[in-house]
Amino acid sequence: MAASAGPRPGWSRRAQYSLFFSFLAVIAGLVVGLILLILSLIAPQSYAAVRGAALDATAPVSGAFREVTTTVTGLFSGAGNYWDAANQNAELKRDRAALMRRMVEARAILEENRQLKSALQLRERTRDAVAAGRIVGSSFESSRRFAIISVGASDGVQVGMPVRAAEGLIGRIIDAGSVASRVLLVTDRANIVPARILRGGQPVISTGRGDGTIDVRPLEVGRNPFKPGDVIVTSGTGGLYPPLVPIAKVVRLDDDGAIAIPIADPARVSFAIVESPFEPEALIAAASGVEAP
Amino acid sequence: MVRSALGPQGGARLNKGPRAGADYVPAATVVAGSLLSLLPIVSATGWWPDFGLLMLLGWRLLRADAWPAWWAAPLGFLNDIILGNPIGLSVAMWAAITIAMDILDRRTMWRDYWIEWAIAVVFIALSEIAHWRLAGVMGAEVPFNNAIGPAILIGALCFPVAAFVAYRLDRWRLGR
Repeated sequence: MAASAGPRPGWSRRAQYSLFFSFLAVIAGLVVGLILLILSLIAPQSYAAVRGAALDATAPVSGAFREVTTTVTGLFSGAGNYWDAANQNAELKRDRAALMRRMVEARAILEENRQLKSALQLRERTRDAVAAGRIVGSSFESSRRFAIISVGASDGVQVGMPVRAAEGLIGRIIDAGSVASRVLLVTDRANIVPARILRGGQPVISTGRGDGTIDVRPLEVGRNPFKPGDVIVTSGTGGLYPPLVPIAKVVRLDDDGAIAIPIADPARVSFAIVESPFEPEALIAAASGVEAP
Repeated sequence: MVRSALGPQGGARLNKGPRAGADYVPAATVVAGSLLSLLPIVSATGWWPDFGLLMLLGWRLLRADAWPAWWAAPLGFLNDIILGNPIGLSVAMWAAITIAMDILDRRTMWRDYWIEWAIAVVFIALSEIAHWRLAGVMGAEVPFNNAIGPAILIGALCFPVAAFVAYRLDRWRLGR
């Protein structure tokens, strides 16, 4: 088949003109697009209202679909739990007994810790949840790692607030609509979290790799401090993320750091909790637009 | 011709014309492609293609007059705000693709399905690379092989589906 040489309008002068002006208009569209792009690079906060409104319009759709899929997957996994139930039951009872013993030990340690802290006169800041919502979608079409969460500015969510699940850290808010917000996940390359190794407490830096894993590097150059299976927790440095929230588990070492997988999988967690920043000053710094898309 | 009009299936072929709103079907499917990103898929990797872009390429390769050329810019704007891209990325990218397609239409002497697929793969790859470079500028420097290679491959393999959808919808909207 020979190619048609574009839309040929024939001899009609009007049709020719309309084609020509359409071509001029698409060039104008290209220029406008480039200007918008430059603006969103140098002043990302100028689009906050547009992005928030778009989130509000689209998130309820994802939320409705999400309900359907969780119900369906729940039916299947619920049926699977009946398989081999007797063995599972025995195993769970054994685990429960072991955990009970550990919990009593932990209670004692907690009590001791509280006494030591009061002796040192350290002040505990109360950590209260701002809002809890479902994760309804993610940026599965882009190399950036974002998730959409079903709470927004009307629930008190602001740009910069940390988001966690019961299992561990999920990320932080970067766009807030009035009923939905966008979360920058810990697996995104631009999300750098000050952290430490739970065993030993050596300070490390956690950076996403964009493919669902996390890159962890020690702050001090020297021997590689990681071991496979190490748990990485937030250190609270910088004041945005609260300390001692689990982030990831080390799976593989490389020459001067390690690759870890996040502990809280955004696809699995049922609820994500938005918290106020550990230090309120961090929110002001984040809202002034240091890093945003 | 007369015989076919009188035949058993002939009646179905008479009085058939473009459906109401046929001019807007192509653009609507591009927006629908962008809206696919609202599916509640929470994935660790971002390797799925940009379905709006796939539909745009599918329609534009099928016919040059699917929509006035300048519609590429507003369609790109919708894609940006639905997907949460930096605003202006798809506007500029899609307008540039439209211009490049117009030039290609004048330059290519011969077209077959493989050439169209190759053209589409080139545009998908360019678009992914633009996303990747822009993410790098905004502080998310991802290694090329991790993020872009699989995305281009999956996009290239998804394109025939988009082209097929565009082709069937074109037949449907024109009442053929």
